Amino acid sequence: MKIPISWLKDYVEITETPEELADLLTFSGTEVEAIETVGSEYEGVVVGKVREVSPHPNADRLRLCRVFNGKEELPVVCGADNVAPGVKAPFAGVGTVLPNGMVLKRARIRGEESLGMLCAEDELGLSHDHAGILLLDPALEAGTPLVEVLGPPEIVFNLEVTWNRSDCLSVIGMAREIAALTGRPLTIPEVTVTETGPDVASFVRVSIDSEDVCPRYTARVLQGIKLGPSPLWMQRRLSLCGVRAINNIVDITNYVMLESGHPLHAFDYQLLQGGQIVVRTAVPGESMATLDEAERELDVASLVVADETKPVALAGIMGGAGSEIQESTQHVLLESASFAPAGIHRTSTRLGLTTESSHRFERGVNIETVDWAGNRAAALMSELADATIAKGMVDEYPGRAERKRVYLSFQHTTDLLGVAIAGREITDILRRLQFPVVAEDEEGCTVEVPGFRHDIYIEADLIEEIARMYGFDRVPDARILCAVSPDAFDLPFQAETACRTVLTGLGLSEAVNYSFISAQLIDLFMPDGEASRVVLPNPVSSDQSVMRPSLIPQMVDVLGRNLSRQVREAAMFELGKIFERDASGTITEHKRLCLGLLGPVGRHPQDKRRDVDAEEMFRWLKGILEALLRSQHVLNEELTSYDAVMFESGTGVEIRVGDRVLGCMGLVDRKLGSEWRMQEPVAVAELDFEILTGGALERVDIEAIPMYPAVSRDVAMVVSSEVSHRQIEAVIRESAPPELTGLELFDIFASEGMGDGCKSLAYSLEFRSAERSLTDEDANGYQEAVKEALRAKLDAEIRDK
Amino acid sequence: MAIFRDGLFFWGEMMNSEKLKETLSEALAEARVAPDIEGLEHVRIKYLGRKGLLPGVMKGLGGLPPAERGEMGKLANRLKTELGGLLDQRREELESGAMGNVSFDFTLPGAWHAAGTRHPIARVIEDAAAIFARLGFTVAQGPDVETAYRNFEALNTPDYHPSLDEQDTFWLESGDLLRTQTSPVQIRVMESTQPPIRVITPGRCYRRDTTDATHSASFHQIEGLYVDTRVSLADLKATMGYFAREMMGPGVGVRFRPHFFPFTEPSVECDFSCHVCAGKGCRVCKFSGWIEIAGAGMVDPRVFKKVGYDPTAVTGFAFGMGVERIAMVKYGIPDIRMLYDNDIRFLKQFA
Ligand SMILES: [Zn+2]
Repeated sequence: MKIPISWLKDYVEITETPEELADLLTFSGTEVEAIETVGSEYEGVVVGKVREVSPHPNADRLRLCRVFNGKEELPVVCGADNVAPGVKAPFAGVGTVLPNGMVLKRARIRGEESLGMLCAEDELGLSHDHAGILLLDPALEAGTPLVEVLGPPEIVFNLEVTWNRSDCLSVIGMAREIAALTGRPLTIPEVTVTETGPDVASFVRVSIDSEDVCPRYTARVLQGIKLGPSPLWMQRRLSLCGVRAINNIVDITNYVMLESGHPLHAFDYQLLQGGQIVVRTAVPGESMATLDEAERELDVASLVVADETKPVALAGIMGGAGSEIQESTQHVLLESASFAPAGIHRTSTRLGLTTESSHRFERGVNIETVDWAGNRAAALMSELADATIAKGMVDEYPGRAERKRVYLSFQHTTDLLGVAIAGREITDILRRLQFPVVAEDEEGCTVEVPGFRHDIYIEADLIEEIARMYGFDRVPDARILCAVSPDAFDLPFQAETACRTVLTGLGLSEAVNYSFISAQLIDLFMPDGEASRVVLPNPVSSDQSVMRPSLIPQMVDVLGRNLSRQVREAAMFELGKIFERDASGTITEHKRLCLGLLGPVGRHPQDKRRDVDAEEMFRWLKGILEALLRSQHVLNEELTSYDAVMFESGTGVEIRVGDRVLGCMGLVDRKLGSEWRMQEPVAVAELDFEILTGGALERVDIEAIPMYPAVSRDVAMVVSSEVSHRQIEAVIRESAPPELTGLELFDIFASEGMGDGCKSLAYSLEFRSAERSLTDEDANGYQEAVKEALRAKLDAEIRDK
Repeated sequence: MAIFRDGLFFWGEMMNSEKLKETLSEALAEARVAPDIEGLEHVRIKYLGRKGLLPGVMKGLGGLPPAERGEMGKLANRLKTELGGLLDQRREELESGAMGNVSFDFTLPGAWHAAGTRHPIARVIEDAAAIFARLGFTVAQGPDVETAYRNFEALNTPDYHPSLDEQDTFWLESGDLLRTQTSPVQIRVMESTQPPIRVITPGRCYRRDTTDATHSASFHQIEGLYVDTRVSLADLKATMGYFAREMMGPGVGVRFRPHFFPFTEPSVECDFSCHVCAGKGCRVCKFSGWIEIAGAGMVDPRVFKKVGYDPTAVTGFAFGMGVERIAMVKYGIPDIRMLYDNDIRFLKQFA
């Protein structure tokens, strides 16, 4: 909201500089976002009278004018359409520097001499309007310095009024804040309404359907108005507040709204039927054209102001086009009312229509001064539009109620703020804020809540008033209390931190993606799960329309994006939630951990040029996975082959722990990867975070450091390439005695000499007893048993050195 | 080894001065040819070790006739000094040789993978959690999909508050919504726990903002809640001051400006003095010397009532701040979208 300081001075004395005043307001709750200077001294600009206008001989769009500047008549070439003999406008003579920086020089324009300029608003820095020259009051004397007409430069505050402080949405409201902050008196203008017309009851009756939506409605009737522009001082104030001047009647309603916070509406009385105003909700199928010329469909909850037959205004939001003030208007019905915030908000939101009026009503106006605002506007219409005011005001006030009373304990104030404030200072603050103190003793006081405050219900609300007036800067820092928190809620958070530490240590960097994802991206990876997707009914954009069911698509997207930026390798993880919907519509969310590898991440630094092959890529990711699982005390995962659209056939693996599925891993399907121009294998895994970290707090059972030496034996074999490492391991473990304490694959290769479909594997076996030193004979015996079993069960050809 | 009255036996042989001389030259030869430090150590143990030759000889000297005793004693001493000297010398040679024989280019790059990095968002959250942990705050988490009750009503939001608007909130078909703040987690904690309470609630939130340099439809918040008897605004000030210094740097101060939030009363906006220019004014703080970081206030008694606390018995403070905002201000990140772009060259800088 914009307010010029000069207007505030009508109601309260201000001795502070603009900066001091801005600080005062900002640190009491209404932030001054900007301090603007509007206008200037207009040095060298005076009121000029256009005496003659004739066509320019060489240019159709230009005119030759004779302008009197109070001393002499000068030739001026002017291009404005609204220049005419007799008008008065700002005139800048040769040598003037205009507020927009333009320097006026003696000029010849298309061959005609021009010794000055008639100015438009933009040239004077008043607005961006360049529609024509600024026409001034014809009664002004030529030669009057413009600064005397427009007034000195203005300082305008741009204020951010918080949602709860509807009382600050007016000049008087802000003046009241300043009065409270400085202790100076607030002066509200006396309104004298001179009623010379017939009784208002002979013009209009008002009825309100429900006091819940309209607790008060007043109407005045003004006869014989003379429509015209409003006086310059009023136009200027409106313009400084960002409101466009229209005509004297509409300008007066806007002026009083800015001044008092009461939105008013002026109807053309003769366009209302039946001399009747009904405040009611719309009937089914009803619609109306509003002032902005839009046809509005009304629903049955929309509150309207209607005449006998039809809605004439969207109550508290916008008037109807059918009863607008216009050239032909003679009589005016002036509405000043209070509409309930919730209804205004609802209709304004439904129609997507926010106005200065709805903005104020949905936050609450002062029901006690509805009549004051009507009277103020009527008096101004009488003064500035020659209106005759009908006798009396229709004042339907079904919502009349006692003011709320709130008790404030001085001790509670001190306790909550952590600073001792004397009872006398507290009541003083409350009185300055215009809360009448109706009872007071040593312990506390009871105040009445004035009608302009819609945010005061309980003691804490008053304590806030005390705090902001007393000053937050005067509240000291307490000594920090350091008690131990009674209960820890944060094991899951600790697990996240622990996994991050492990994964970054393993060389992976963390990614964070949005929770939203496009349906197309999911389709590529998981075309089947459509029914379980959580689709947003109101997404910001279509590429963010579904809550992600997996972290993998975005992980691949991230790797692909990095690849497209010439990043050759990346090892990444993301910790985030996935969302699913079951058949009943219930949404569940699960924390997941996603891993992704691109490029030769696991290679020696001087061996990165070779293409990455599928098996090594898979085994790098598996190695990271194993390290991670061990760090979380998951020791016995089982991998089974797993087919999924996103995985290259044969590379997908499901990871189980006991009877639970921990997650899956695999290489991204090559066709899918080609969407990102990925030519080399890319590995991804996704794990359920709760299963992964669920055992991390289990007690670690330590084993004694072995006392007796170990004996090692190697077993090398050639087997069919169908035989898996896991099968070989199983056979070795079965056939070896409990003394087998270590088993490691130390060599694997395939060569032509072995014959087709064969490979060679070599294992190192470590035997150790907890009771004695094993002899060579022991170890040889164990080794033989293993060899024998491998021959028998896997048809292995044992290779001896 | 056995010692008899009539002579000194060693390793099954009778030891006399001749034999001992021979043994000495053998020992010296063995020391000379020992290929490595281990071999050298064998030689030392064999001749000079606790159960080796020399101590045996020395022990047996007393049983020898005086005439032999003198010569054998001298020989034994020679054995000790000569062999000991040679062993030391060889050891030195072998040790220096072990390095001296190998030569490589130590300017070659190291051959271990680099550490990965935490995302700046996670980093701010973890750092904040650690700072507040020192003040006795633990971390609470909750679901992203929340009820309208916990996200709005329980927080004293009036039913026509602007933040309830369709256009600002992601509503779901079920009537639930994506939380617009992490405050509903505080409600969950209060619903399930009696005071005293001291938690922070970091997490992801959602608002229907169009993405630009400073807005994102999904973002992260850290909120905090402290409920006990006699918690005051002065405690809030001290707590925010501590956090500001720990998070942004030792000289950083805090100021409060009154504001409005439905769930606190009084409510304040909390500015940190600019850590870049120390309050003098710079681009980061838009030349004001202050950076708006958090919203805070004393918990509204109506919120306590909603969760079944006695508002006359407890007071508390709550605060909330944007994680992305802190990350951007702290690390000088100009555009919030960089945080969600996941360019590895950006992420790697947060080592
Ligand atoms: Zn700065």
